[in-house]
Amino acid sequence: MPERLLQHLHSVAPDHVDIPILQPADPFLETAGEDLRRRIFITQSNAGDVQCLRPEFTIPICIAHVESERPQARYAYGGTVFRQQRDGALEFLQVGLEDLGDDNRADADATSIADMLATLGHAGIRDPKLTLGDQSLFAVVVENLQLPDTIARRLVRNFGSPNALEGLLNRLSTGRVFGASEDEADKLAAAGHEAALIEHVESLMQAANIAPASGRSPKDIAQRLIDKAGEGSFKLDQVSAETLRQFLAIELPLTHTPDALAAFSAETGIQFREAGSAFEGRITALVKKGAPLENMTYRASFGRNLEYYTGVLFEAAANGKAVAGGGRYDRLCSLLGADTPVPAVGFSLALDRVEAAL
Amino acid sequence: MTLVIAIPSKGRLKEQTLEVFANAGLTVEPPADERSYHSKITGRDDVEIAFLSASEIARELASGSIHLGVTGEDLARESIPQTNDRVEFLTPLGFGHADVVVAVPDAWVDVSTMADLDDVAAEYRSRYGRRLRVATKYWQLTQGWFGQHGIGVYRIVESLGATEGAPAAGSADAIVDITSTGSTIHANNLKILDDGIILKSQANLISSKQAQWSDAENSTRREIVTKLKNSC
Repeated sequence: MPERLLQHLHSVAPDHVDIPILQPADPFLETAGEDLRRRIFITQSNAGDVQCLRPEFTIPICIAHVESERPQARYAYGGTVFRQQRDGALEFLQVGLEDLGDDNRADADATSIADMLATLGHAGIRDPKLTLGDQSLFAVVVENLQLPDTIARRLVRNFGSPNALEGLLNRLSTGRVFGASEDEADKLAAAGHEAALIEHVESLMQAANIAPASGRSPKDIAQRLIDKAGEGSFKLDQVSAETLRQFLAIELPLTHTPDALAAFSAETGIQFREAGSAFEGRITALVKKGAPLENMTYRASFGRNLEYYTGVLFEAAANGKAVAGGGRYDRLCSLLGADTPVPAVGFSLALDRVEAAL
Repeated sequence: MTLVIAIPSKGRLKEQTLEVFANAGLTVEPPADERSYHSKITGRDDVEIAFLSASEIARELASGSIHLGVTGEDLARESIPQTNDRVEFLTPLGFGHADVVVAVPDAWVDVSTMADLDDVAAEYRSRYGRRLRVATKYWQLTQGWFGQHGIGVYRIVESLGATEGAPAAGSADAIVDITSTGSTIHANNLKILDDGIILKSQANLISSKQAQWSDAENSTRREIVTKLKNSC
């Protein structure tokens, strides 16, 4: 099966790049975070280089793409990947596709989804259920609530992790107090004495022998404390909390989504504007591709809390179990060293799950 | 069938363990000769004592080659993967207190909670071109705790000693370390986050779920736990 599927993928994604099984671990840990360390296999060469067994293809393909300086490419890939997971295989076959550099995001998204469904079809999975989310819609809702910057960023960062998000909403609803402190720095910040606060932080750094050039500067630290003080005592009001929960609870057939979002806008006054038209543009493109919209569900809370995911996220399930998934990660190539943002969308099939579902 | 209990082989932990056991009416006899690491409890043929290092005790509990062991909760939680599946914490023993804490430089006047640290970590790379670095020897505890607080984008810098000196040395921005009074942390111009106590650890009597347990061994265990609980 893998060869057959890979052959099909190459027919729609002609570009190829070799991704060795042994990979430097650093790019994975830098982009996905330290938390990934527990889920991959790490090893060390005698020279001290930290290597890992290829946990996925997307990051190395993006690195190769950035180095190639090609404006646009569609890469097909396939091979064994290695993951530490409590349930499930430690190694399994993955095939997939990365579409890098295509500015027409609606079309590229729809093509990627259609290609994924076609590949599943070749593998013998008929009519899988597709769940789709879009983090840019959530970002619009948050932005419209006019929350303090730090709070808004925190909410967006936790999108895709329902437990963390619900916990955050609960904490924010009980409120936070700023200004009651007798602390010297807090008093300076509350009074807005930036220069004095910077000096105060500098003296603390000197006392600790911390070189200000090595990371956070006294100015950055002072600025953030003044921002916090400016936001003052913050408590998420009930209406905003309710609006967020109401949005996150939306789950319905994709074809009904534009109407539901319009109703949400009418009720809350939140307009989705570009993010909304991009969402509808994607549906139009899916219709044009002849994709089976009747099997697609939009779930507002569906996302990944990884900073490089920027737009659509999708997952196909057969018999209630996920077999393939993908999404848009326009921030990934920049994280990996690209000078300008590279539009990126792609998907992968986990072949052990595909086989189990047959 | 004998029940094997491992006890720390040296230092304060050993002395305090022997004292707590003696107070509970369980007198551990000195080994027959200096080179031996095995002993028994006076008057009991159903218990064998093994003297091991604290980290060996955690490892042997995980593999099930001993039934019971005395070691720090921090060490057990750090070095035994899926801790609660493999061992059971039977009773704290009232000594070896140490907190595993998250600390940042005093100069970070804007950071007092894990949520603040999350904000700082999230923007570290875009502002300073690298991830926030945390020095620690507690990989597992740090990853678990940061994960619980939704912090994924940071890097751990392994520290094999004097972790509290890492921020001044420029090798890390924050630390996760143990402290009993907090004085070493304060002396290094660091502060513990308000909600930065990962674990309030102390020496524990720990039972291995991996070991083979006969009915006799189970009842011996119940008896020993009761004695220790009553005297602690």
